Amino acid sequence: MSNDTFRYSSRSWFGKASAGLILGFALALSLTGLLAWLWPGGLMHSSGKTQLNMWLMSPIWALVLGFCFLFRTGLRAWLWLGGATLLSFAVLFAVKAFLGGAA
Amino acid sequence: MIRADIVKMYKDVHTWVGIVSGLALFIAFYAGAITMFEGQLKRWASPPPALSTPVPLERTAELVRKTIEQHPDAGNGYTIHVATSADRPARMSWTVWPEGRSRGAPQETWYSALDTNGDLEVSKDTTSPVAQFVDVLHQQVGLPFDHEIAMPIMGAICLLYAIALISGVIVFLPGFAKDLFALRIGKNLKRMWLDVHNVLGIFSLPFHIIMALTAIVFAFHDQFYGVQNKVAYDGELSAMFEANEPEHHVHPEEGKVFLSPELLMARLGEQAPGFQVKDIRYIFQRDGTIETMVNGVDPRYGHRGPDFGIVAVNAYTGDVMSKDYLPGHQEPIIATVTGFFALHFGNFGGVPVRWGYFFLGLAGAFLFYSGNLLWIESRRKKVRKTQTDPVQPLKTKVLGTLTVGVSLGCIAGISVTIAAAKVLPSFTSDIAPLHSWIYYLTFLGAVGWAFLRGTARGAVELQLFAAACTLAIPCVSLASFVIPGFGWTSEGGGFLIELTALAGAAGLLVSAHRTRIRVRRSPSDSIWHVSGINSREVMT
Repeated sequence: MSNDTFRYSSRSWFGKASAGLILGFALALSLTGLLAWLWPGGLMHSSGKTQLNMWLMSPIWALVLGFCFLFRTGLRAWLWLGGATLLSFAVLFAVKAFLGGAA
Repeated sequence: MIRADIVKMYKDVHTWVGIVSGLALFIAFYAGAITMFEGQLKRWASPPPALSTPVPLERTAELVRKTIEQHPDAGNGYTIHVATSADRPARMSWTVWPEGRSRGAPQETWYSALDTNGDLEVSKDTTSPVAQFVDVLHQQVGLPFDHEIAMPIMGAICLLYAIALISGVIVFLPGFAKDLFALRIGKNLKRMWLDVHNVLGIFSLPFHIIMALTAIVFAFHDQFYGVQNKVAYDGELSAMFEANEPEHHVHPEEGKVFLSPELLMARLGEQAPGFQVKDIRYIFQRDGTIETMVNGVDPRYGHRGPDFGIVAVNAYTGDVMSKDYLPGHQEPIIATVTGFFALHFGNFGGVPVRWGYFFLGLAGAFLFYSGNLLWIESRRKKVRKTQTDPVQPLKTKVLGTLTVGVSLGCIAGISVTIAAAKVLPSFTSDIAPLHSWIYYLTFLGAVGWAFLRGTARGAVELQLFAAACTLAIPCVSLASFVIPGFGWTSEGGGFLIELTALAGAAGLLVSAHRTRIRVRRSPSDSIWHVSGINSREVMT
């Protein structure tokens, strides 16, 4: 119902941007962590892969930060991004536990 | 189609991130454009070496032996410069750490040569620090702080820059078809400025995406690795890098000598044709092993360093030991990472790409300058609607003067400090701090002048001032040529620096003239208005 009358505005920028900044970083960290483990060849694939994985922090963080304004409210941004972050960290730790310790 | 309220929201976002980051980005882009010719600038700015002509490559072994005999520090590691010029003034150099070796500790570079009798000559580095100063200005978005403090601030600016790019594209999209090739030059100056801002932004978007994403990595490189090390690699990151590193050290062999530079280069020519060697670095590790790194370029590929790639070789045999950073011979993944560096540095494809990056950098600086002024103009319209005799709010005045003062102060400051490079060595040997003082005093003076005179007068006067400062560069070149004892003229430098400065000064003069015309025609509520100057009211 309220969907039809909802209008985006820049007034709720702080809640959205803080979620994008903090959770965007956390999400980038957990997603690149997952990639480090699940990449064919695994953690020790090559130093090039380790470097590439560090570089991927930047686009993921920047994209989340740029598009976090599309959440309707700051609270929604925190909940959705927070949920995604928790989920990806949970998967990361599960993968780590399943595949064993580093190296 | 994108909803109007989303576009409106992103327009606000674009405005505010632009205002907060625009001036720092102006400095980063203007200084960055100049770093495209850092090598040429260093050559232009460096005094002739105090040493004899470099010995031919065949006599390298003799030079190395005599240098290490008298300066044992050089025995820890030294570099053989294959190509020499004013900015690399000797065949051999080495680095010492007067206060002990640690990350960020002060270091000195020394050069050595042989005189006509074959006796050793050494000299502390006298090459100009001004090109490096402009480079650091670029890296630290103009902030005079320690690297550790400036870099996270730069990173924050770049995150805002990334938001500005995304939001700017979203705002532009609805009018995409209409505005893409539109450049409405005419009486509606605000429309024209917006068109220029849009066209520059859209057509250089790939360049800007690269710069934003790579600069975020350059800013937070250590932090990214630090947290990934904790979360993903369980503290094993350095061990992993070490384990993955191709073996590139050799053990010293009794009675055997290193390949001479010519033979080493011949061996490299067989293994990596097209790789032009610049420097050969010998590193003697504490455990007694020897690493030999060869820096060079291959214009067909991108490079890991700002203007060089690296190959590790065996000093005795010339065999390639690690191709990880050898242009054109890298594994696909590491070549991808090198690609990110190369796209930031513009170090592929040789001189044409450097010029392309130079102009893209200047265009980027103008993008931020025009963005700020557009905001001021749109604020003006809002005031008009609500007030009959509008007075400009303080914040638009402040932003106007800041925009004019900071950007023109940056241009003037860089020009003056570059021109000073041929003057300062006559007075002192400790030049680096002076370059910094000259830049920042000029810069702050320009900002102060803008506040004193207001946006409109300040813009005209500071453009003339910046033009004069830029003209000082060819003037010191000319003075060096005609006045005995003043400055110097480096060999083989060409006139790149002088001609570029002349073109820049001419551009600033034309722009000052156009601004003066605009000031005369501005209505009384414009940021460009100066009371008593404008002759008639026209729509701008």
